[in-house]
Amino acid sequence: MKNLEELKIMRERVKKDLQLRAGKHRVKIVVGMGSCGIAAGARETMNEFLNLIEKSNKTDIIVTASGCFGFCAQEPMIHVYVEDKKPVTYRNVDIEAAQEIFDNHILNGKIVEKYLFSKGKK
Amino acid sequence: MSETAINRTDQLTDEEKYEKLREFIQENSDKKGYLIPILYEAQSLFGYLPVEVQRFVADEMNISVSEVFGVVTFYSYFKTQPVGRHTITICMGTACYVRGAKKILEALQDKLGIKMGDTTEDLRFTLGEQRCFGSCGMAPVIMIDKDVHGRLTPNKLDAILEKYK
Amino acid sequence: MNNIRTQLLLCHGTSCMSNGATTVREALEEALREANLEKEVEIITTGCMGICELGPIMVVYPDGVFYQQLKPEDAREIVQEHILKGRVVQHLFYKKPKSEELVAMMEEIDFFKLQKRIARRNCGIIDVNTIDDYIGADGFMALGKALTEMTPQEVIEEVKKSGLRGRGGAGFPTGLKWDFAAKAKGEKKYILCNADEGDPGAFMDRSMLEGDSYSVLEAMMIGGYAIGANQGYIYVRAEYPLAIERLKIAISELRKHQLLGKNILGTGFDFDVEIRMGAGAFVCGEETALMRSIEGKRGEPRPRPPFPANKGLFEVPTVLNNVETLANIPYIILHGADNFASVGTEKSKGTKIFALAGNINNTGLIEVPIGITLGEIVYNIGGGIPGNKKFKAVQIGGPSGGCIPAQHLNAIVDYESLKELGAIMGSGGLIVMDEDTCMVDIARYFMEFIQDESCGKCTPCREGTRVMLKILTRICEGKGKMEDLDTLEELSYNIKDTALCGLGQTAPNPVLSTLRYFRHEYIEHIRDKKCRAGVCAELVYAPCSNSCPASVNVPAYLAYTKEGQYDKAMQAHLRANPFPAVCGRVCPAFCESRCRRKDIDDAINIRAVKRFMADQDVDYLDCFPEKKNKNGKKVAVIGAGPSGLSNAYFLTMLGYEVAVFEAQPKAGGMLTYAIPSYRLPKDIVEKEIKALVDYGVQIKTNVRVGEDITLDELRSEGYEAFYISTGSWDCVMAGMGDTGDPRIFSGLDFLSKFNKKEKLEIGKEVLVIGGGNSAIDAARTAKRLGANVTIAYRRTREEMPADEAEIIEAEREGIKISLLQNIKEVTPKKESLEVELVNMRLGEYDSSGRRRPIEIKGSTFIKKVDALILAIGQKPKISDLVKGEKIELNRNSTIPTEKGITKVKDIFAGGDVVLGAATVVEAIGEAQNAAEAIDFYLTGKIKVYPWRIKDPVNVEFDPESEPVDFKRSKDNLIPVEDRGVYDEVEKTWSKDTTCRESERCLRCEYRED
Repeated sequence: MKNLEELKIMRERVKKDLQLRAGKHRVKIVVGMGSCGIAAGARETMNEFLNLIEKSNKTDIIVTASGCFGFCAQEPMIHVYVEDKKPVTYRNVDIEAAQEIFDNHILNGKIVEKYLFSKGKK
Repeated sequence: MSETAINRTDQLTDEEKYEKLREFIQENSDKKGYLIPILYEAQSLFGYLPVEVQRFVADEMNISVSEVFGVVTFYSYFKTQPVGRHTITICMGTACYVRGAKKILEALQDKLGIKMGDTTEDLRFTLGEQRCFGSCGMAPVIMIDKDVHGRLTPNKLDAILEKYK
Repeated sequence: MNNIRTQLLLCHGTSCMSNGATTVREALEEALREANLEKEVEIITTGCMGICELGPIMVVYPDGVFYQQLKPEDAREIVQEHILKGRVVQHLFYKKPKSEELVAMMEEIDFFKLQKRIARRNCGIIDVNTIDDYIGADGFMALGKALTEMTPQEVIEEVKKSGLRGRGGAGFPTGLKWDFAAKAKGEKKYILCNADEGDPGAFMDRSMLEGDSYSVLEAMMIGGYAIGANQGYIYVRAEYPLAIERLKIAISELRKHQLLGKNILGTGFDFDVEIRMGAGAFVCGEETALMRSIEGKRGEPRPRPPFPANKGLFEVPTVLNNVETLANIPYIILHGADNFASVGTEKSKGTKIFALAGNINNTGLIEVPIGITLGEIVYNIGGGIPGNKKFKAVQIGGPSGGCIPAQHLNAIVDYESLKELGAIMGSGGLIVMDEDTCMVDIARYFMEFIQDESCGKCTPCREGTRVMLKILTRICEGKGKMEDLDTLEELSYNIKDTALCGLGQTAPNPVLSTLRYFRHEYIEHIRDKKCRAGVCAELVYAPCSNSCPASVNVPAYLAYTKEGQYDKAMQAHLRANPFPAVCGRVCPAFCESRCRRKDIDDAINIRAVKRFMADQDVDYLDCFPEKKNKNGKKVAVIGAGPSGLSNAYFLTMLGYEVAVFEAQPKAGGMLTYAIPSYRLPKDIVEKEIKALVDYGVQIKTNVRVGEDITLDELRSEGYEAFYISTGSWDCVMAGMGDTGDPRIFSGLDFLSKFNKKEKLEIGKEVLVIGGGNSAIDAARTAKRLGANVTIAYRRTREEMPADEAEIIEAEREGIKISLLQNIKEVTPKKESLEVELVNMRLGEYDSSGRRRPIEIKGSTFIKKVDALILAIGQKPKISDLVKGEKIELNRNSTIPTEKGITKVKDIFAGGDVVLGAATVVEAIGEAQNAAEAIDFYLTGKIKVYPWRIKDPVNVEFDPESEPVDFKRSKDNLIPVEDRGVYDEVEKTWSKDTTCRESERCLRCEYRED
């Protein structure tokens, strides 16, 4: 990009894409892939989601890797962005959890309670 | 360059390694103060930095051997002795320490029959320690090659070591 | 089309369609037309939203309001109310199902709620593999603004105005640093990013680079523009391969979009950046050393001045900023200095990232507003200490920092106040330590770290720390001398004054701060050869014995009991504690809290094994240690509770003639009169006291020393030393016993009447005030007498001092516990007592690390009860006894002692009269110390005492064998419905259960010879 205007144009385009509603994706899964997360198995979790998406033949779901969200004690963590809804954060998402979350939440809109945080202290 | 001493390029002959190293040095000849990155490359090629390699670097960069040697010995990352196929690094950071890293170290020394810093006779493991690799949330942790194993207790070690032949 | 102000997203999934979404749509269109809104409001039909059971559903944008189970007739209401008048239609709201209560919108979780994310604003949110998300999150807008709208000096002024200070540790104002470099003369300048995060326990920079390298790079460019640098270097630890990889991705993304190189954003500004890896030398985090390392040399620091702002990397003006510092810059430029400065304290603005680790539930990275308290970090964000352990201290600032103990949990976290407390903000490692951490060992650990990492260039650091480490190691091995503490302090100040670089100058901080707050632990290591945390191997026989106040040889009696050698088991126990049957019933088992078996599954149920052992038919007299020959000296013990009787026993063992004077008709103190018989049957107490009498202890009951006979009279009868162990029998009534109403009891008074089997009139409704063991005992007793019982306690369940197991049993027996309630007043009426109670909330932390209860104004209420039992505190009452002696009591009426010794040379004291209400086993520990002090006073000789000796355990043990796979066995409690008034609620285990349990022991006492 050659100047600030181009940067701004790109920003608007990206922002639009990020709004799932306007974009081509219905669901975005963000996996926390910091060192802590990876040590706790985030890579396996991410691969599992990619497998599940492939098997389900869905094209409106994307997975992205992000950094660490800070809550190391509860890694791996993911955020699930479903279009038009507030993001939901899951903790301790191992392969088994990934399958449950995919089947229930991502495909059928049902939040999987047992991998949520509780509101206050545990 | 994230390749480290652990993932050495075993399939190359020594000559090829020297050739690669020479290329790397020449490519970066315009960069200021590039000795340390060059030593990284050398260590990732050879697995460690024997005197011959240090001398080669000095010659190629046109600096004195003593300067290279001074740098190699200053930084604990650089090794002058061969290392095992797998490097076990125990985190001795505070968090791991208070969560029982000492116990893990004792157990590893027992199991491998070597002391801290040594390599097993079959060149399978080298045992090292480090101050914190920033996985304090998983304390106590060890790192084997690039894998971090966290929330350890001595009785989990056998199963983990088993994975590294 | 452009004047659309609202979008109605109506779900047209299969399920909503079948529920009538189409007719709803038609009705909406109609209603909009009617209101003339069809040009402003757009109806969009969407695919399935996923909550089919609530369909048809609709979301109103941009408000995001969610309506459910719509019918065509609702359309008009929505349009008229919501769209036209802006009032949401509540009855069509989405009712949160139970699952939604749990839904973690992040802001609802305590861990996130108290955080404020400025530097980490993008971490965990943006995609790290492309630049897109970052740009979408306003990335490079700050750079664009700086390059097009601001002069370099304006950028510097903005950063100055923000009050941002270096986050790497020292806290130097960033704007000022930039100003110096900008004003320095020179063609070429550099801006460096310090990502050589070497402090153990700190990992915020790693996470920052892994999660959002872009911000850091953008900030370096802004900084480069401000100071006039076109080249940057990022110095990253080689131990962070993932951070390096992500940085590389980010740099190549920037290049791809021409955001690095020549003429950036068409403004004529050139900038490039290179990654340099550290190679495992901690000292390279120091700025001058880091620059040398980038130059390809040994990373040794050099003296300043000249400062890097004038002569830095390659001898030209250089700015070095820490990763976190930089991550704040784009926010400051984009949102303005004032916005940033609105967070924080007067002298410390913005937020700070901490790596929360150690003994804490929620480990992780947190970004908090500067000015938050330590207590909020540890308890609210960190979720407290795992395993119900006690908080001891936080170590903050790594090897250059210090520790802050529980009494300062209300301290705010900013540069100044941390410094005052002897710590530093540092790079942000915040390690929480619980009671299992030995502070001497921690000091030794940091010193070892510094020794390893000292570059060796200057003598104070190289040699001084070596000597300090030697001393600390010696203390940890139990070979320290008291003079060592002075030497440590002297050396510390010496090194601080003379070391060359920051690493050296701050190296003694961990020692100084542990000496400041935990000197008593150093003294215990040196004088008593004791490591209370059970960490220092040379001082710890086994963790269980080490944490037992009476140092009972636990592994021994477990092993012998398993073998059925009950006499040997009893011998090992009785040597240090003459009350195995009592302790087998009422001990809180400090030993179990540190049992290593916990690493595998659960602690061994040591108390239950002990109970079995003591209930076997073994003659105590055969198992007591052999008495020394009589030495002809007489000692008087005052008070025949567990402490007094134990002290008499230990002294009898040494050959003294000991008489125990007791004011009550029976011996035993609390054992006899306070602890209810359903927990501790009185025949058990009598059996153990009788054994002591048979051993040679004389007990004189119904004699109140101070009234019936004075200490001076006893002196003239030939008693050469006195042990005061009169307990803590005076109940705190807070003025409420003044009425003399017989329906108001003190906890101890009530219990003692019950134990004497006196008649107790308590009616139907009983209220007990308090949260300690006396309160629980009184409540369970009242319940047994047929009342409905409520306990009111002013803090929360976690703070209740009573044993957890007792609280659970009380609840099982049907006692209601009302938390956060306190008593204000009681008004006796004819038919009932009117008790005025008030609701409480928890405020700031007190010196014990517990939160102080505070009354909620206007929340008082009246509770009518038939009896009120106040169990809110006990204190000793000994003024008559020590009248005329030079003993000044503590504020809570306890006697100040040091290992049993008082201000008066022939008077010693121990047990509850010293500790306040404590436990039996602590009382016995006190008795041991005092017995040693008395013996030293009377003989002048230092000896090894029988109760300190732990004979080798003569039971075969194979250290190679795998631990047995049995789980912890539960206490043998009888069902609640079968419990009587006086009968014991717990039964002794069977032999099988006991054997299995004791076999679980890992034999930590075992040593290879």
